[in-house]
Order: sequence, then C-alpha cells, then structure tokens
Amino acid sequence: MCGCGEPRWAWGRCAPSPMLLLSLLLSAAPFGLLGEETRQVSLEVIPGWLGSPQNLLHIRAVGTNSTLHYVWSSLGPPAVLLVATNTPHSSLVVNWSCLLSPEPDEGLMVLPKDSIQFSSALVFTRLFEFDSTNVSDVAAKFPGKPYPPYPLAEFSWNNITDSLDPATLSATFRGHPMHDPTNAFANGSLAFRLDQLLWDALPSGFMQWRPVAFSQKQRGRESALPCQVSPLHPTLEYPLPQSPIVRAFFGSQTNFCAFNLTFGASTGPGYWDHYYLSWSMLLGVGSPPVDTLSALVLGIMAVALGAPGLMLLGGGLILLLRHRRYSEYQPIN
Amino acid sequence: MEEEDEAARALLPDGPGVLPAFCDPSRLAHRLLVLALMCFLGFGSYFCYDNPAALQIQIQRDMQVNTTKFMLLYAWYSWPNVVLCFFGGFLIDRVFGIRWGTIIFSCFVCIGQVVFALGGIFNAFWLMEFGRFIFGTGGESLAVAQNTYAVSWFKGKELNLVFGLQLSMARIGSTVNMNLMGWLYSKVEASLGSAGHTTLGVTLMIGGVTCILSLICALALAYLDRRAERILHKEQGKTGEVIKLTDVKDFSLPLWLIFVICVGYYVAVFPFIGLGKVFFMEKFKFSSQAASAINSVVYVISAPMAPVFGFLVDKTGKNIIWVLCAVATTLVSHMMLAFTLWNPWIAMCLMGVSYSLLACALWPMVAYVVPEHQLGTAYGFMQSIQNLGLAIVSVIAGVILDTRGYLFLEVFFIACVSVSLLSAVLLCLVNRARGGNLNYSAKQREEIKLSHTE
Repeated sequence: MCGCGEPRWAWGRCAPSPMLLLSLLLSAAPFGLLGEETRQVSLEVIPGWLGSPQNLLHIRAVGTNSTLHYVWSSLGPPAVLLVATNTPHSSLVVNWSCLLSPEPDEGLMVLPKDSIQFSSALVFTRLFEFDSTNVSDVAAKFPGKPYPPYPLAEFSWNNITDSLDPATLSATFRGHPMHDPTNAFANGSLAFRLDQLLWDALPSGFMQWRPVAFSQKQRGRESALPCQVSPLHPTLEYPLPQSPIVRAFFGSQTNFCAFNLTFGASTGPGYWDHYYLSWSMLLGVGSPPVDTLSALVLGIMAVALGAPGLMLLGGGLILLLRHRRYSEYQPIN
Repeated sequence: MEEEDEAARALLPDGPGVLPAFCDPSRLAHRLLVLALMCFLGFGSYFCYDNPAALQIQIQRDMQVNTTKFMLLYAWYSWPNVVLCFFGGFLIDRVFGIRWGTIIFSCFVCIGQVVFALGGIFNAFWLMEFGRFIFGTGGESLAVAQNTYAVSWFKGKELNLVFGLQLSMARIGSTVNMNLMGWLYSKVEASLGSAGHTTLGVTLMIGGVTCILSLICALALAYLDRRAERILHKEQGKTGEVIKLTDVKDFSLPLWLIFVICVGYYVAVFPFIGLGKVFFMEKFKFSSQAASAINSVVYVISAPMAPVFGFLVDKTGKNIIWVLCAVATTLVSHMMLAFTLWNPWIAMCLMGVSYSLLACALWPMVAYVVPEHQLGTAYGFMQSIQNLGLAIVSVIAGVILDTRGYLFLEVFFIACVSVSLLSAVLLCLVNRARGGNLNYSAKQREEIKLSHTE
C-alpha cells in the first residue's frame, strides 16, 4: 500500500444556501499500535515556540523492543507522521526554529535514525463541498456544483492541551478557517478526534476505514452515508499544500500519492440533514484488524445448527436401541 | 345427465337449441372461461400484497419511517387473518354464500388498497396501516372463496390442476409486482416532477387497478355461477368446513409439530422477501431493478415448480423426508446469504425450490394426522398461527434491522428455520417411534386404502 497519502474530501449537499452551520466532526481516528503484549502509551503536547500554540502532539507507545511514534500536527495542513522503530529508547527531537522556517528539513527527527523500521505520513489538504440539488443521477461523475474549497492549511486550530484526556488517551484538534469571507463556517468546526487501540502486528503500515460516514451523532442505519474513495494517483500534476512536519522528517524529495474521499450521494441521508458529518479511520502499523463475528452470532449459529443435529443423532440412537431391545423379544407362538 | 341438459336448454328463453360452447356451463370451453376468471380473481390481491416490498426505499423515504414502522404494513395485513381464518368458511357457507362472499371480499381488497394509497397521498402513515388492515381482511378470505369456487366447478375432474394454476397465477401476480412497481414509481415521479408521498400514493393507486380487475372477475363469476346453477341445477359451492375450536384439545403431538414447522419456516421467508430488495442492493451492490428481480425469484420458481413438486410428492409419498430436505435447503440458503458473498442467485433459487417443495409436502400431512371432521379446524388453526407468527415476526425483523443490521437479521431468520428443522427432526422421530403413517410412500398408502375398503 502506498506509504503516504494526501486525502482531500468532498461531500454532496442539497441546500443551495451558502450560509452553513457547519458542524463537522471527522472523528475518532484511532491508531493501531505495534503489539507485543503490552505497550506503555503516553501523550505529550510539544510546547510551542515563543508562546504561540503551534499544536504538535506526540504519542509514544513503547514496547519491550520497539517504539511507535505518532506525531499529529495542525501546523500547516493537518498531518500525522507515523514512525516505527526497533528500540524502546527512540525519541522525537523537534527543532522549532528550523521547523517554523521556510526550509523545515531536519526540523523534526526520530533518533536514533538507523532504528527506524517504517515511516509514513498522512496529510489532509482540502475540504470540498458540492451542491447536488439538481443531480438526480446517483452514478454521475461529479457529485454536483463545487463550492470554493476550504484549504485546511489556512485553518486556525484550538489549543490541544485543553482537549487532552490522559485517562482515555484521546485528544481533539478542532479548527475553523482563518479567513471566512462567505461566513460559511459561521458556527461550525472541523474536528479530528484521536483515540488509541491496540493489537498485534508486523512492521508495515495501513490506513483502514469502513466505507460509511454518519450524519448524526448516534450512528445508525438511517444516518449512514456511503463513503467512496478515488483511486490513488501521483501528485505531480499540481502543487499541493506542504505540511512542515512531513517536509521536516522526510525532506523535500518525497513521493506523494493522493486520493479523494467522498461522503454522501445526491440522494439519501447527507450532511445537509443535521449539518453534521462523522467519519472514522484507523491508522496503524502492522496487519489491519479483521472483522470477526460477534460471540452472540456464533452462539446462535452453534445452537441453530447443533440442536437439530444432536436431536437427529440422539433420537436416532434411542430409536435404534429401542428397536434392538424389542427385536430380542421372542413371542410365545 | 344429457336428458337433464336438454331439458334445461329447453327451458331457456331463446327456446330450444344448442348453446354455443362458451355459454354452456357443462362444456369445457365455458369452464375454461370460468377458470380464467378464477385465476385473475386472486391476481390483484397477490399483486398488491407485496407492494411494500417492491417500494421499500420509496416508502421509507417519502413517509419518513424506519424499518420497524415499515414492517407494520405487513403486520397489519396478518393481524385480521389470525381470527378470520376460522370464520372464512363459516362466512362463505352460512352468512354470505359463495357469490356474495367473493364480491364482498374483493370489495374489501379494493377499498383496502385505495385507503393504502390515500395514506400516501395525504401523508398519513396511520391511514396506510389502516388500509393494509382492510386489505388483509379481504385478502386471505378471498383465497378461501377462490378455492371453494374451484371445488364447486372442477371437483372430480381437474381439481389439482386448477389449484396449481390458481397458485401459479397468484405467484405471477407477486412477480409482476416486484418487477413493475419500482419502474412505475419512477415513471410517476417523472410525470409529476418530484418524488414524495403524493408520488407514492399515485403509484399505489395505479397498482390498485389490479384489484378493480379482480372485483370485476368476482362479479362476472357470481353471474356465471348463478346462471350455471339455473341451467345445471348445480348447488352453490360450499367450503364444507366445520370449525369447532374445542377440537384443538384433541390435536396430537405430530400435528403441533407440523404447526411449528409451518410457522418457523414461513416467518423466515415472507418477511425476508419483504426486506429483501434493500438487502440485495446494500450487501451485493445490485441495482434497483436487479434487486427487484432477484427478490421475486422465489415466486417465479414456485409458479411452475409447485405443480411439479405436487406431482412428485403424490407419486413418492414420504412427506417427512421432503419436508426435512426443504427446511434444510432453506437453512443452507440463508447461511449463504448471511455469511458469504457468493452470487445470491444461487441462494435465492435454492430458496424458491425449497419453498415450493415444502408447500406441497407439508400441508397434505395435516390430512394424515387429523380425522376428517376436524380437518377444517386444523387447517384454520394452522393458517391462524401462521398469520400470528408473520404479524409478530414482521415487526421483530424491522426492529432487528434498525438496531443491528442485516447480518443479525439473517442470523435471526436462520434461528427461525432452525426451530422449524428441529421440529421436523422431532416429527420424524416421533412418527418413527409411534409407527405413524406420515412417511409412508404412495404405494403403502394405496395398499392401506385398499385393505380398508376390503
């Protein structure tokens, strides 16, 4: 799988009004951690430089002989850096003056460098919105008339220290555009919520999501939107907003590939129902988790298949024994 | 008989002379005309019964209801039949007579469908539910009336064939509904300009035209039946059913097991078809037309296969083995749909075949375990609890779908079929243990019949 990507999203909507009460939550991006049995997980907010809240969140999961580093940043477009090393003693080194300069190469490093087994990054660059009021063909190529895209690099974000919850090991980045001439983001926000999850793995990265988003806080079938992903394509055709931490870690010559995620269709539930959209993805190292059947389902199936089978066997045996017993009876004449 | 015919013809107002074949009630041509009318009598009722299944997405979207409320449209159809199954025969034999009974039940079917459609036009879901209730009051009783007409006109001659043809026509009605209504809705939407409850109501109203056709058939049949009675001195058909609810205490264990098999099986088929279209669209990514087509496969297969399997079971006997095969096959079919992504046409064809087989093998078994004077009560009871099961499970299926999704719904259906299978196994064992006659081959039955007459 391509080691890095720059997803941009889009969703269709029906209401033609440009005044949005945007309450968009790109929530719960849990991340998988390389598992041996236990890992020590710690979240730390790397303090900004000169007091300005440049949000840099470093999540460190230390095992017996490996470490996973997740670095989430809202510096520039929101991005996450994922690094797996083969030593429990690797650490993140941030050089703020370098990071905030126009050439941030080497501003962010994981040391020792030769312990790095796997590294990758994911950058969220743009948010598109489409007006699909007159689109009746669900399979249309374009979901509708596009509104001007929201460049996520020009969002201002909250101070992440306030939203950090060490007990549940979760954090939330919440942002809205710095310049909002059409007042489209009047009461809304775009949020990234991070939770943590654990399972076993081998070193190679993955990004996994269910092809569904929800238009209501309670995720149910009525509020489910389809989520489609475009094929991956290299990004040489046009310039993309750069993320400083990606540039800092990987340097300037890097291969990017990009894809679009589209939420919703022109019919059915959509963002316009409650002005809310929620989507989850899993970012991790190792083999992706596989859905298994729940214990209840397995239990019901065991009974459903077992009971008639056992009844047939048991009853057949009893009848056979009875037949055998009666056949030993010798009538008088 | 011939002298009677000639005498009857002599009494006709246009004087003595030979009636043309179509007008002579004793001739085959006329009886074929009557057969055609009888077949179309049930067409409208079966066509409109599955309207909700064909328009599930549209109903849920336009009326803003979740799956639980949607399935109430099926539940309300079944509720009146829990009680009416016992009274259908009584109403036809003692209260209305076959002709008026058929007309009245056809009227109920028409009115019910119209009220159902009006519920859409006025955006009142309760009115739709009420319409389905009225529709249900007429629907099942109309089937009893249809069978009574068949016996009256074709007894001793081609009765099994006639029953088979009536069932086939009914299933053709269901199939046409599944494949037509979605298309009809899109046409109405195109002409009215927008989707919405009005579009839904108009579509349902157009579908109700089939019920008007059935009503016209009922009127024509009543006229022809009265005419035949006049000409041939034929008596008005009677169901001959005697329902004595106190007989229930005499029902034997095998009969109760047959009831459980019936309920456990049908509640895993009809509600599944009711919810099937969206299942195929979501899980297997079928288009709307393809999903409608595959959802109708069970009916399409049972139309030709029912007479074939009827013949097969008649020839071989061994009803219990056939029942076991049918129930096990349906179980396999549901498991395929639940846990695999194999082509669902396979599973649905299996389901269609096993559905037809079960119908032909299960219902005659009742006659083998119940004395003839209790037969009416037994069949009435079987229909009644079948409808009770459908009424309850339809809503449960909707609730499960809303809260847990399709996998759990399929597992629920698997559990229902498993109960049916368990009962079938138990029936086999009990029958074996008691030396019962349920699994006799046809030859053995013939021998017993001959030895009884000696």
